[in-house]
Amino acid sequence: MTQPILRVSGVSKSFGGLKAVQDFSLEISAGEVQGLIGPNGAGKTTCFNLITGVYTPDVGSVNLLGRDIQGARPYSIAALGMARTFQNIRLFGELPVLDNVRLACHLRVRHTLASAVLKLPLHRGEERAIRERAMDLLAIFGLDSRADEQAKNLPYGDQRRLEIARALATGPKVLLLDEPAAGMNPQEKVELRKLILSVRDRFGVAVLLIEHDMGVVMNLCERITVLNFGQTIAVGTPAEVQGNPKVVEAYLGTE
Amino acid sequence: MAVAVLAQLVVFPWLVGQGLNFEAKLSVDIAISIVLAVSLTMVNGFTGQFSIGHAAFMAVGAYTSACVVYYGSHRIYGNPEMLGGMLSAMKEGRSGAPWFTGADLLFAGAVLSGGVVAAGCGYLVGLPSLRLKGDYLAIVTLGFGEIVRALVQSQTSEVLSEGSSVTEDHLKTITAWQGKLTTDDYLTAANVAEVPWYLWPKYVGGALGFAGLPSYNSLFWAVLAAGATLVVAYRIKTSTYGRAFLSIREDEIAAEAMGVNTTAYKVKAFAIAAFFAGIAGGLFCHTIGVQLNPGELGFQKSFDIIIMVVLGGMGSISGAAIAAALVTWIPEKLRKPEELQGMWVAGVTLIVLGIVIGVILHAAGRNRALGKGIAVIGGVALGLSGLAQLAIKYEVDLSRYRMVLFALALIAMMLLRPQGLLGLRELWDRSLWLELFARRSTDAKGGGRS
Repeated sequence: MTQPILRVSGVSKSFGGLKAVQDFSLEISAGEVQGLIGPNGAGKTTCFNLITGVYTPDVGSVNLLGRDIQGARPYSIAALGMARTFQNIRLFGELPVLDNVRLACHLRVRHTLASAVLKLPLHRGEERAIRERAMDLLAIFGLDSRADEQAKNLPYGDQRRLEIARALATGPKVLLLDEPAAGMNPQEKVELRKLILSVRDRFGVAVLLIEHDMGVVMNLCERITVLNFGQTIAVGTPAEVQGNPKVVEAYLGTE
Repeated sequence: MAVAVLAQLVVFPWLVGQGLNFEAKLSVDIAISIVLAVSLTMVNGFTGQFSIGHAAFMAVGAYTSACVVYYGSHRIYGNPEMLGGMLSAMKEGRSGAPWFTGADLLFAGAVLSGGVVAAGCGYLVGLPSLRLKGDYLAIVTLGFGEIVRALVQSQTSEVLSEGSSVTEDHLKTITAWQGKLTTDDYLTAANVAEVPWYLWPKYVGGALGFAGLPSYNSLFWAVLAAGATLVVAYRIKTSTYGRAFLSIREDEIAAEAMGVNTTAYKVKAFAIAAFFAGIAGGLFCHTIGVQLNPGELGFQKSFDIIIMVVLGGMGSISGAAIAAALVTWIPEKLRKPEELQGMWVAGVTLIVLGIVIGVILHAAGRNRALGKGIAVIGGVALGLSGLAQLAIKYEVDLSRYRMVLFALALIAMMLLRPQGLLGLRELWDRSLWLELFARRSTDAKGGGRS
């Protein structure tokens, strides 16, 4: 078995008296696609926020590429190789589509603000490289023809895909997708599934996704973690999870 | 209007050293306003923070450069006279001088050091307050502005100069005078030169203002500073660092997740903006007809700069520059309403032209925004000339109602075009013009475009 890229062990977080996430653990290896599911309010997005540094865990540890990143700020975690999308799309709406992706290339930039002001050769070269990289990414997602449009004017499905393109531009090893299929029609969901798999193969990233659409999750993920009220109630392959009575109970309730 | 302002900026630099005249002085004021508005755009426009103490950094820069020039001149030249070359001269009497002298270097260095000290203050103020989210920065900058003003006002109202009398207090603090001077003596220029540099900030005239500063600032320096500010701001905006600044304004959480250290970048933008505000302050206090006074660089001045940024469009460099020019130009013209009287001709012409263009564009199935914009500019011109008529008839000094007019302009702007003159975009952005001539279905709104 390969060494996991991301290892989350025993992470808990409380907000006041509310135990949002309890003893959450997860391991994900390169090229793997994992799912995180659960009813509304189960703590899925909180888990994402704990992993990406938006919140600091009360206990437990998060380890990315062998480094302890617990308590690190989101921007340094992004630099180490973790990128995410947001449940409620958070694009830079007023900026052009291209600039949304170009911004995400910023953390690999080596030239200083002063050389940008003086337009030194290093600045010019890197800006050119950033533009090419961003256009390539947009082409993969079929957004290159809309590069100059304001991001907020894109149709909903395009905005979701632009968020993934932007996340990939940071050069991640782990990609966290928060409900990528939300608001998509069946046709778009099929395409999204293909897109996620091709992104994984092309960029060699591990993908962890939160999703409510069972069709997408069951067809895409190799392993699934099920949360309910902040607790992990099942872990396993799609078939194992589907057959687990606790999962059925969480989703459908008991008599 | 904009044409007149532009002409003033483009034509008058060629008149360097031609002597003091009202138009040249107004152009200097406009150029300084552009430096201030464009620099504040980097904070309020690019990073979306809200600083309401920009004039305080201007004050820091002004007092720093004033100390260096005034007391530095005493040390180097033995007097505080203006010894600059033709490039710095706005007053007759230096027509035989060379273009550039060593004294100009002293002035330029002093202004730059004012910028650096202001940037340092910006860094110190920004570091703790920019960690916080929301409106805290506004409150902190307001407080900083008041502190600077109060600190200067609480100083002794003396400026040490040749002929001023010696006090007990002087002899206590200035060790170089001990044993040489008594309270019966009067200072010579050489005595003033002996004041140690760390005591300079004490003798800046307090609440009465820093009198006796040499007037080095000219159109050359002011336009140079405005040009440099515009170039730097534009290069930052279009660079990867500019995108980092803008991402903070758009969505701070997403910006962090994409690897932007938002606190560090906010502090950076804040310090850069403070640097240019300091430069503007240094130029301002060495302008002819200006007496550096702490009251003048208080909250009121900060608010003037904010008005320029908001009217120009949060984040637009060219918008801020245009608004800065207008906001500086109009009140000066309001002092002489007879000059504005004739503007109704231009106003009516523009309104008619705007309506014609609007009708043609509409008939062609295009967006009418351009016609609307021209008509609005014409309307403003007509309104100004109407105001001038009234002012002459009832003998009202319109310049006293400057803030009322600007408040009305702000309200009108917020109702008609809340994103400001140009929004985030620049005058030369292709998307702006494409939108102007777009098919009507896009329903793009245009406004006053100068």
